Amino acid sequence: MDAIESLIPEDSGSAPALEPLAMVALDAGRMLMEAGASANGVDEIVAKFARGLGADRVDLRIGYASLAVTIGIGPNGITRMREVGHLGVNQRLDQELWHLAARVSRGELTVEETRAELTRLAQKTPRHSAWVMAVAVGLACAAFGRLLKVDWLGTGPVFLAAGLGQLVRRELLTRHVNVFICATLVSFLSSLLGGLGAHWAQSTTITTAMIASILLLVPGIPSVNAQNDILEGHPTLGSARAVTVAVILIFAAAGLWLGQVLLSHLGIET
Amino acid sequence: MTFPFLLHQTVCGALAAAGFGVLFNIGFRSLPWCAVSGALALAVRTACLDGLHWNLEAASFAAALTVGAAVQELRARTDLSQNALDVVGCIPMVPGSFAAKAILAMFALTSASTTDAAETLITAVQYALRVTFTIGAIGTGLAIPTLLLRVRVTR
Repeated sequence: MDAIESLIPEDSGSAPALEPLAMVALDAGRMLMEAGASANGVDEIVAKFARGLGADRVDLRIGYASLAVTIGIGPNGITRMREVGHLGVNQRLDQELWHLAARVSRGELTVEETRAELTRLAQKTPRHSAWVMAVAVGLACAAFGRLLKVDWLGTGPVFLAAGLGQLVRRELLTRHVNVFICATLVSFLSSLLGGLGAHWAQSTTITTAMIASILLLVPGIPSVNAQNDILEGHPTLGSARAVTVAVILIFAAAGLWLGQVLLSHLGIET
Repeated sequence: MTFPFLLHQTVCGALAAAGFGVLFNIGFRSLPWCAVSGALALAVRTACLDGLHWNLEAASFAAALTVGAAVQELRARTDLSQNALDVVGCIPMVPGSFAAKAILAMFALTSASTTDAAETLITAVQYALRVTFTIGAIGTGLAIPTLLLRVRVTR
C-alpha cells in the first residue's frame, strides 16, 4: 500500500462515525472553555471525550474564539472546527463536565448518550439567583475595600454600590450588551453610588470606596488563565486573553473616571 | 504586625474569596473551601508584608505559591476543579485598585489641566508596573505547584 492509498478512508462498519464523535468532543471542550477553564483543561477534556468514545488519535487547536480538532480511528480521520462563545466563569458546569468526562473515558456512554448529557448540562446546571450573587458580590467588594483601607463608614456604601452594580451587570449581560460597554456602565454606576454613599456617610476614603465598588469587574480568572496558558505552551490564546483583560480594565477605569468627573461637578472632592 | 490586624486581613480575604466564589457559580457546599483558600492567601501575604517586610510582589508570590501547593493537597477532598479553588483564593490579591489608579493617571496625563505631567507619568508607570509584576507573581506562584505536581494527559 503506498502513501496515498493509506490516506483513503476505509469504512469497516464497526468503528464509530467520526463526524458525531468529533462534534461531541468539540462541544465538551467549548462548554468547558466557556465555563472559564485554561487551555490545558480544554485539551485534556477533549482528549478524554474523544478517546472514551473510540478515537485513536486526537489533535486539538485552541483559539480564543474557536476550537479545531482532528480525530482519527484506524486509517480514517476527520478535522472539524467549532465556534466558542463568550468566555465566562461557571464552576458548577466545569465540575459537571469533568464528572461526565470520567464516565465517558470509562466507556459508559455512547456518542448519542454523551450528546444528550451535554445538552442536559447546558440547560440544567443551576446558577445562584441574582439576589444571592448581588449580596455575595457586595460582601466581597466591601471586604476588598477593607483590605484597601476603606474606613468603616465607607464600607456600607461599597457593599450597596457593588451589589447594585452586580444586579445591573447581570441584567445587561442577559440582554447581550457588549461586555466592554457593560464594564463602563457598571463601573460608572457603582463608583458613583459608592462615592455618593461614602460622602453622605462622612467617610474620609471616598476615592478608595469608589475603586472598591468596581472591583467586581476585575477579570481575575481570565488574567490568571492568560498567564497559565502562556506558561503551558499556548501563547496565542494567553496573549488574546491578556489583551481582553487589559481592554476590560480600560473600559472599567473609564466608567470610574466618569463617576469621578460627575462627583466633582456635584462639589464632592475625590 | 498585630494579631487583630492579621485576623482582620484573613477574615476579609475569606469573605472576598467566598463572595467571588458565588459569582463564579461555585456550589454552597464548596464555598467554605474558597473562604479557606482566600484566608490562607491573605494570612501569608500579610505575614510576609508586615512581619518579614517583603514587598507586595514577593509577598503575593509567596502567598500564591502556598495556596497553589495547599490546593494540590485539598483537591482530592473538595471535588472542585483546582483552577477554581486556587484562583478564587488569590482573587483578593489581584491588584485591581492599582490597575484603576494606573489607568486614571494615564487619563490625567492627557488632560489639559495637568500641572505636573512628569510626576503623573511616573505615578502611572509605577502603578502599571506594580500591577504587571503582582499579577505575574500570583500567576507564577499558582503555576509552579501545578506544573510540578500534575500528571500530563497521555495523548
